[in-house]
Amino acid sequence: MKEIVAIIRPNKMTRTKEVLAVLGFPAMTACKVLGRGKQKGLAGEVSFEMRPELLQQEGSLKYIPKRLISLVVNDEDVSLVVEIIMRVNRTGEVGDGRIFVCPVDQAVRVRTQEEGKEAIC
Amino acid sequence: MKMVRAIVRPEKAEDVVDALASAGYVALTKMDVVGRGKQKGIHVGNIYYDELPKVMLMLVTEDQNVEEVIEIISRAAHTGSFGDGKIFVSPVEEAYTVRTGSKGL
Repeated sequence: MKEIVAIIRPNKMTRTKEVLAVLGFPAMTACKVLGRGKQKGLAGEVSFEMRPELLQQEGSLKYIPKRLISLVVNDEDVSLVVEIIMRVNRTGEVGDGRIFVCPVDQAVRVRTQEEGKEAIC
Repeated sequence: MKMVRAIVRPEKAEDVVDALASAGYVALTKMDVVGRGKQKGIHVGNIYYDELPKVMLMLVTEDQNVEEVIEIISRAAHTGSFGDGKIFVSPVEEAYTVRTGSKGL
């Protein structure tokens, strides 16, 4: 099992959920986070009016609002899920987000005490 | 690669972020969390706080930089009292940039 942690644009969240659900990965955990990448926060994500020169300036916003989604999938589905998330979220602009794949040792479904593969499918 | 997750005092979070940025670790994710430690929250007189607000900072870095990141965070977040927080390091197998689809940080 692997945990896929993806940090994506908030306005791509609905589409990501829809596409993942259609392809059989409906379960996920989502969290509103703040973050920044190598560019130290480029404005242009936020909806309020801002001076145009600030939009391209590095570090003009300290943090950018993002959505963190985390889903645990079987090893063989990892590349598919990563590909889906990248395909849906790619706009070509800086700030499309990042995906991390982390190992998971064990999963337990609380209701039935099922462990491992049965717990996550 | 390793994921470093640090749970720090909210008032120290900006100090930690600035210290990391000046050492070149600019990219990170910040979230507000609530939690408690070994002391099970705090007692103030008769009032008992079970969950204390904290800030969780999350960054992914190459293996050789982990020690330095931990050092920076623990120096910037240190006050000496209970509740300074904890740092967890966990393995990350792959990282992708969505914009380019490239692997790695």
